Amino acid sequence: MLLAVGVVLVLLLAWAVFTLARLRRLEGRVDRAWEALEGALTRRAELADAVAREHAEDLGALRADALAGAVADARRPSGGDREVAENALGRLVRELPDPLRAPELDDAGWRVGLARRFYNDAVRDTRALRRRPGPRTLRLHARRPLPRFFDIDDGLDAVVGTGPVGRA
Amino acid sequence: MRVGLVCPYNWDVPGGVQYHVRDLAGTLRGMGHEVDVLTPAEQEESLPAGATWAGRAIPIPYNGSMASWQFGVLSAARTRRWLREGHFDVVHVHEPAPPSVALLVCMIADGPIVATFHAASVRSKWLAAWGPVVRPWLERIAGRIAVSDFARRLQVEHLGGDAVVIPNGVQVAAFAAGPRLPAAEHDGPTVGFLGRYDEPRKGLPVLLEAMRTVVRELPGARLLVAGRGDPDELRALVGPDLEPAVVLLGELAEDEKAAFLRTVDVYCAPNLMGESFGVVLVEAMAAGAPVVAADLDAFARVLADGTAGVLVRRGDATALARVLVDLLGDPDRRAELTAAGRERARDFDWATLAAQVVAVYETVVPAGGGEVTAHGADEDPLPVEPVPTRTEGFLPRWLRRS
Repeated sequence: MLLAVGVVLVLLLAWAVFTLARLRRLEGRVDRAWEALEGALTRRAELADAVAREHAEDLGALRADALAGAVADARRPSGGDREVAENALGRLVRELPDPLRAPELDDAGWRVGLARRFYNDAVRDTRALRRRPGPRTLRLHARRPLPRFFDIDDGLDAVVGTGPVGRA
Repeated sequence: MRVGLVCPYNWDVPGGVQYHVRDLAGTLRGMGHEVDVLTPAEQEESLPAGATWAGRAIPIPYNGSMASWQFGVLSAARTRRWLREGHFDVVHVHEPAPPSVALLVCMIADGPIVATFHAASVRSKWLAAWGPVVRPWLERIAGRIAVSDFARRLQVEHLGGDAVVIPNGVQVAAFAAGPRLPAAEHDGPTVGFLGRYDEPRKGLPVLLEAMRTVVRELPGARLLVAGRGDPDELRALVGPDLEPAVVLLGELAEDEKAAFLRTVDVYCAPNLMGESFGVVLVEAMAAGAPVVAADLDAFARVLADGTAGVLVRRGDATALARVLVDLLGDPDRRAELTAAGRERARDFDWATLAAQVVAVYETVVPAGGGEVTAHGADEDPLPVEPVPTRTEGFLPRWLRRS
């Protein structure tokens, strides 16, 4: 009887150690994915800012102002809602007339799409594991906040596939 | 960038995943990246330079096709050594879910891992049961790629998690120009079939049935069958009435395959099920062969919903016969399809796709860099995760294999 209890305890402990290692690893993955996403968003904002400054007359004062405003808002979102601010910027960038939408800007938008999917993927894996009965019962990582999804419309059906990835 | 590619299937056995890895490696090297491939092979000597042998994988029939099994202490040791000596910025595994060297890399590697999912069969009870078992290791993958929407859907449904879609590529230039295949030359109209012809899902019986009508209408027509399989089985399938109209070319080398596709009047893919993507359709289009294919979702997508080739209801020999007869008798329509196909093939050129794969690498590699390492018994006195070894302990001895 005592032996059985011991065996169960050892197995439980091994499982907990293993699960903690998974959670720790996932935490690292979420952090790295978030860094990549921030990097991609920052790069897009920089490129959009450059367009707003350098092509102000081609764009017209109204649109150039709107774009510059969206860039500023994305960098320092008012009300703290980064997703809304990035959405607004993304929409303006996609609506830029063709000669102003440099290939780098399309590429930056595409990389935002990649980074966002990888980040959300990491968040999804973390949330799935945290919500399983085992980790919840043992309260593994229970005090840490659940990572949040980052949901923006990047206008890229292409990344989730309509045949070849056209850089929209 | 230093990239470690991992192919789970025997390198010296022809297959879509192997070609994918080979071409991706070649294209990446052409772009100036350093690439090493870890792969099993039946013969170690068959590996080219820039590839590391991971032992032999045991082929197991799975889902109407072949999968491979390779999972053991010796394979793990080889994998660990490869990871330690490679100093990779990123490792890119292919088809990591089955118990193969790709899964071993996911278990052992410590650092940025990218994975490409190839399979696309939608009803897979095996995967539904297996998914949760391998989840702790697949969870370490930082960036997931699927080669098609269907591969992505499978990944979402059974393994949990999203993937970006980067389709299979083709070396378009290698198919577009070159010699024709003398063995496939024929005075009358020819239809080409390429693939493992004894696999039912490839649909050769449907095409043979259709050929009976085609030969009645166009007596000089020939069906050229290229690929691996049992010739006797094929002869039994063809039957005496059709035998004069069917030519078996056997297995073709890569350059012969391109020559074959350049020679045939029509390329036909009558597959019934289970195709993830259909590289061969892109190859045929790149080689300028008009394509007639079953209306599998994957094929419809590659053929741009039937604008770059003709789609026929799968398994429908009558409809297939009608399309083939029409097409073989209409050179103008064939020329139209050839032009549309060449245009479409360019979307799948490896140069385009490898650049997208590199963007994925750059997204998962941390800004400061830091190479992939291996964790495991021989250097860490206190392994943080005892489980990889424990899992191997679960396998009966006879299943362990180098």
